[in-house]
Amino acid sequence: MEFFIFRNMTIERFFSKLKTSFSGYEDISFIDQDAERYIWFYLAPIKTDNKVISAEIRNYIDLLKLTISRIPSSKTFIIFTLSDIYSINTITGANDIKEAVKYYNSTLHELALEHNNIKVLDFENFLSRYSSTELIDWKYYFISQMALNPRLSNPFHDWFKKQVKSIELKRKKCLILDLDNTLWGGILGEDGIEGIQIGGDYPGKAFLMFQKQIEELGKQGVILAVCSKNNIEDVRQAWSLNNSIVLKENHFAALKINWVNKADNIKELAQELNIGLDSMVFLDDNPSERDLIKTVIPEVEVPDFPTQPYMLPEFFKSIAEKYFSIYNLTSEDLSKTKQYKENALRNNVKSTFTDMNDYIRSLEIELSIEEVNNITIVRAAQMTQKTNQFNLTTQRYTDTDLSEMLNDGAKIYTLSVKDKFGESGITGLSICKLNGETVDIDSFLLSCRILGKGIEDAFMNWILNELKLLNFKAVNSKYISTAKNIQVKDFYERFGFEIISESGSIKSYSLNLGDVQINLSDNYKYNYK
Amino acid sequence: MKEKIKEIATEVFEVQVHDDTNQNNCENWDSLRHLNFIIELETEFDVSFEPEEIASMTSLSIVESMIQEKSNNI
Repeated sequence: MEFFIFRNMTIERFFSKLKTSFSGYEDISFIDQDAERYIWFYLAPIKTDNKVISAEIRNYIDLLKLTISRIPSSKTFIIFTLSDIYSINTITGANDIKEAVKYYNSTLHELALEHNNIKVLDFENFLSRYSSTELIDWKYYFISQMALNPRLSNPFHDWFKKQVKSIELKRKKCLILDLDNTLWGGILGEDGIEGIQIGGDYPGKAFLMFQKQIEELGKQGVILAVCSKNNIEDVRQAWSLNNSIVLKENHFAALKINWVNKADNIKELAQELNIGLDSMVFLDDNPSERDLIKTVIPEVEVPDFPTQPYMLPEFFKSIAEKYFSIYNLTSEDLSKTKQYKENALRNNVKSTFTDMNDYIRSLEIELSIEEVNNITIVRAAQMTQKTNQFNLTTQRYTDTDLSEMLNDGAKIYTLSVKDKFGESGITGLSICKLNGETVDIDSFLLSCRILGKGIEDAFMNWILNELKLLNFKAVNSKYISTAKNIQVKDFYERFGFEIISESGSIKSYSLNLGDVQINLSDNYKYNYK
Repeated sequence: MKEKIKEIATEVFEVQVHDDTNQNNCENWDSLRHLNFIIELETEFDVSFEPEEIASMTSLSIVESMIQEKSNNI
């Protein structure tokens, strides 16, 4: 598996062309240690209370810091900047969100300075191509928590691939340039020093801009060299006499201006400059020269050269980004980098939480457990219908089925979860059928939205504790495997259940309540009505 | 239209589908791929399904009649 992705929304579709697996929603408890790379992709939560939104955004940073401390520092961790894709500016408190987003993103840059494996991806760079109405398809948001419009997945994929490449691609060191019809229009040997097209009107104007852009690349540390079939005296004369030419002899680290074949010239350049062939890019307007290099020295990058001078700006942009982008703090400029560095020193960035327990406690989670009633029974039935992953037996029931079970004396517990950021509503369910002094746990399930905070264990312990208080002696339970519930295959073992039989897809367990010591974790507050 | 639907389904569910393929007899037809399937159908046939319709589109034959119906109404 290539990427393991931490996320807080449904985003699978956006990474569907890659080998990935995903965390639960806002779930940092599980980290796939075998992943080659990690991604942190959080979107601003879609909620109505701006104070809550900004508090959650700040909390994401704490989650992130804890996660960073838990993944191998040798592996790339790509972190998306956070954008608020749905904000209503007229509402008071909108500024809180802006501040929180700013805090989030600047902290990312600080973290990237401290950890070499962290690469920050400027997500705004992608989102800014779209209007705010294009970013969200509310229909899909409401049916599946897909906050980003699913139709953007293809352009996203292309964009993301390019970003990953620029993160991982080794920056090329040297740009080798042909002269005639590459750095200027026309052929020096035929058109003469004043006859070549550089500066003045089009097409000279286009070549001039191209030369200036290459000059800038040189200032950023890219080594420039010439490889051209010309008489060197002619070229030197042009350099000294034609003032429109920007790139002169002093800009170039080495010159191969002769009539020898270009492949041999480029190999010599590599030796002279003491750099690898694989760190060179060769520009030439002549397809047969390009072809020669591609065939003879495949290590050298040889991009196609535009056929018209007006295409040069686009061409330059593409080669600059593809081969010479410095991947350092996304697109942030150097002065900003310095600023971040200073901030990082001042703040002495530290994780707020020392471990998962600490994090869970900070959430102030309250578990409210109720026996099902006339109102909650519909939701309870719906949960049996819809829950696939954290579902031990995957029994599907209607509310009528559940009513009948209640009539037969079953206990059906629902779980609602609340933390400092809000309430989840009913997101857990357990059906306990009573059988004399024994209880059969017919169903035990939780919505995947609340996983990753130890709630599943707390809920099970609470139930076992309750059954013990009610003087039941033993509990029987089952795990029925399906294609989707593998994550719970050893769930009951964690609570001391013993396997009494195992056949096909069914594991049956039993637990003697008299034998077990049940510890209700004090990470949570329990309310039982 | 049927063939196009099957072609899209095959691609999304990553298995060979048949006329009688439905959510129950196709293991890869999970909730996530269901949405992907609907999105592809909406794009291909230039229609838009309501959430209630999306929930009811649990077999290829229902999908087909739903699209048929939509296209007739245009």
